[in-house]
Amino acid sequence: MELFLAAAVGGLVMGLIYALVSLGLGLIWGVMDVINFAHAEYMMLAMYAMFFANRWFGLTPPGGLVVIVPFAFVAGVVTYRVLIRRVVQAPPVTQIFTTFGLLFFLRYLAFAAFGPNYRGIAWPAASGTVVIAGVPVGGEKVAAALAALATYALLHAWLQGTKTGKALQATAQNPVAALALGIEVERMYALAWGLSIATAAVAGVFLLPFYQASPTVADAFVLIAFASVVLGGFGSLLGPLVGGVAIGLIEGIAGTLLSPTFKLVFVFAAFLLVLFVRPTGLLGRETP
Amino acid sequence: MSLPVVALWIAAACVPLVVHNAYLMNGLILACIYGTAAQAWNLLGGYGGQLSFGHAVFFGAGAYTSTLLLVSARVSPWAGMWAGAAVAAAVALIVGYPTFRLRRHYFALATLALAELVRIVVLNWPAVGGAVGLYLPVRLLGRTDAMMWRTKPPYYELALALLAVACALAWLVDRTRLGLYLRAVDQDEGAAQALGVPARRYKLLAIGLSAALTALAGSVFAQYVLYIDPSTVLDSSRSVLFAVMALLGGRGTVIGPVLGAGFLTLVSQYAGGALGGLGRGYDYVVYGLAIMIVAVYEPRGLAGLAARFRRARGVPAVEPQADGGSGGPAARHDAGPPVLDVRDLAKHFGGVQALRGVTLDVKRGEIVGVLGPNGAGKSTLFDCVTGFVTPSGGRVTLRGGDGSLDGRPAEITGRGPAWIAQQGLARTFQLMRVFPALTAMDNLLVGQEHRGESLLASLTPSPPAARLRGAELLHLVGLAEHVGTPASALSYGQQKLLSLAMALMRRPRLVLLDEPVAGVNLTVIERIKAHIRAQNAAGVTFLIIEHNMDVVMELADRLYFLAEGRVVTEGPPDAIQRNEEVLRLYYGR
Repeated sequence: MELFLAAAVGGLVMGLIYALVSLGLGLIWGVMDVINFAHAEYMMLAMYAMFFANRWFGLTPPGGLVVIVPFAFVAGVVTYRVLIRRVVQAPPVTQIFTTFGLLFFLRYLAFAAFGPNYRGIAWPAASGTVVIAGVPVGGEKVAAALAALATYALLHAWLQGTKTGKALQATAQNPVAALALGIEVERMYALAWGLSIATAAVAGVFLLPFYQASPTVADAFVLIAFASVVLGGFGSLLGPLVGGVAIGLIEGIAGTLLSPTFKLVFVFAAFLLVLFVRPTGLLGRETP
Repeated sequence: MSLPVVALWIAAACVPLVVHNAYLMNGLILACIYGTAAQAWNLLGGYGGQLSFGHAVFFGAGAYTSTLLLVSARVSPWAGMWAGAAVAAAVALIVGYPTFRLRRHYFALATLALAELVRIVVLNWPAVGGAVGLYLPVRLLGRTDAMMWRTKPPYYELALALLAVACALAWLVDRTRLGLYLRAVDQDEGAAQALGVPARRYKLLAIGLSAALTALAGSVFAQYVLYIDPSTVLDSSRSVLFAVMALLGGRGTVIGPVLGAGFLTLVSQYAGGALGGLGRGYDYVVYGLAIMIVAVYEPRGLAGLAARFRRARGVPAVEPQADGGSGGPAARHDAGPPVLDVRDLAKHFGGVQALRGVTLDVKRGEIVGVLGPNGAGKSTLFDCVTGFVTPSGGRVTLRGGDGSLDGRPAEITGRGPAWIAQQGLARTFQLMRVFPALTAMDNLLVGQEHRGESLLASLTPSPPAARLRGAELLHLVGLAEHVGTPASALSYGQQKLLSLAMALMRRPRLVLLDEPVAGVNLTVIERIKAHIRAQNAAGVTFLIIEHNMDVVMELADRLYFLAEGRVVTEGPPDAIQRNEEVLRLYYGR
């Protein structure tokens, strides 16, 4: 029972981090019906950015956040303007290929630039443990989980409380109508990409103290992020949050109680199961 | 197959007589093996538009199955490779069956997840070599019955033969109905189903063939390199490589994957030497960049680039026979037995009640109109009848559905759209749907009779009768000179006429038209009206949704007026026009 509780708490914390990685993926998917296969690669790049911010300037995640996230936002906007804008109207096959090409490009660019070695940083200020429901959890992980919750809360408040946020929601629901109402759809798309990549960067920054960076680190995360979005369902911010936490719990509990080697197998198996049984997700309504 | 093509293959087979450079031979052997896998990927991803990022699983299934059989059961790879193909095809069908219902994003994701899952399992499974991998027994080297040789030429001939088989298969798909149906499904699956194309069946056939072929390539690969482990045959970069080769060369063409495989294998072998000093990553950076550039600027790949410099081939015009009239002329207004019988049909989307118990019938030879304000549930009614939406309640029966004139009634409630369409029911869509990249003639051929069409028949060209019927209909709607024009190049009115012709292709007994004259000019309206009348006189029954009052009043024998998901009233046009409630609901008077 104690073991189960420990696995559940650990899974919950990781689940929140997965939810953070999934957030931006679900945002783009929901707003413009494009699946960004390269999403987690931006998280990987943010991890490297955090690594060098730490090595060169001695920054820790809070400081790194201030420097890296604005860059990530710009990177997202640039990605949209240079690449994605050209395939928004293209058939889905072209879109899938374009972002898949982007995935390959970014991953092996990192490989070429940083080599295959694993890199991590220490964050002494958060290195203690926090006790949650009687289970000790690493301080870095708790910080990342809190960052995830804060990001979700901020984005939710912004979407509901500001005019631009409303405009973004309107664009997601019907871009043609939004255009007719004077919303600059192109800017909304660019904004969505900026926000999406910025949230991926938040995840990368907080992940690095306890999860080492490598060019292929996105491998596990990209599928987990897809699984979270599909599992949770589309149409709201709540979808990827619920999905991410569910994936974290599956991984934590099945991984601890059954077999740590196969923990990702359980996640992917759950993902395939959801695709086969309930492709609209736990909270989804629309038929895909 | 033309003489130059045969000569080219013979020349390719003679290469070992001239080339003795082992490094180049190695590149050519790998190019043939990868080319086979890329061609296999192309069958599914190129023609069917179903992108797989997990073909390494099938490649690995072939490599592991034949190797395990050889190592532990001493089964010759010549037999083992077929076992591998069977395993791969079985896995493919298991993945394809549930995911092909969904949008193609999900299939791509499922293949990605499957590949990771299989890789992790094999990596941690000692019985199949685990992370250490499997060595082929080198003591068998030099024995042809074990598919192992000490020199490269036999491997080259084997790999080349496999590539030839793959290309022949792609050529077959390209030239036959299967390729046409796969392209149609790729461009608009719903529209293809509305024409009776059993989309999932052909996608499953494509993935089965694709997986089996990839597995054969995997077996030969294992025999050639003599050592396999998860990172050589199951890695995700392997899956991507096959996809990239097909894409770069030109997906949906026979030559494309071969060009792509040859180009990438040889470039990476030689450029890999040049870039090698910089680390392993650079060639993949270039691949990634190449994929993006190709996807954005020339989605048809190298083959498409070549086509730009060639003039479009002229399409031979098909002379239609003198219009002999189609179908026996049934006397109009004899109010035959009902063809379509809808009882208490209900549909709700979440809390929205779109249909609240609609009951209507259409008798043979009638033209029945459905009127109603926007949101009355007219299109939902069509979607429920044609199987695009599953009704929440009620029953739809099609009489005379099994082909005979007074055949048994067929309950069609809840059946799939393709099956329903095959019972002799055709429809058009409110937002017109033609296959933009197919020629006008091919658009019609997608709509040929699909009932009783076997998988084997799909691997033969369209029968002459279908081509003749197509030519006849093109002639009828005045598009005869556009036989070879892609539908996307036709005007809106022409596309509208084409979609009407597509619905008529199979000589359906009942045609559902959703706003057939919306958005077209007066001349075309007159033509469409005339076609409907002529077809009706020839025995086709129509159910029509239309907002253009003049058209409905003129054409329809009977009208149903729908509002808020219910039938408000029913009767002859002039009675409906005078009905107080209709006037209030429709005209706001």
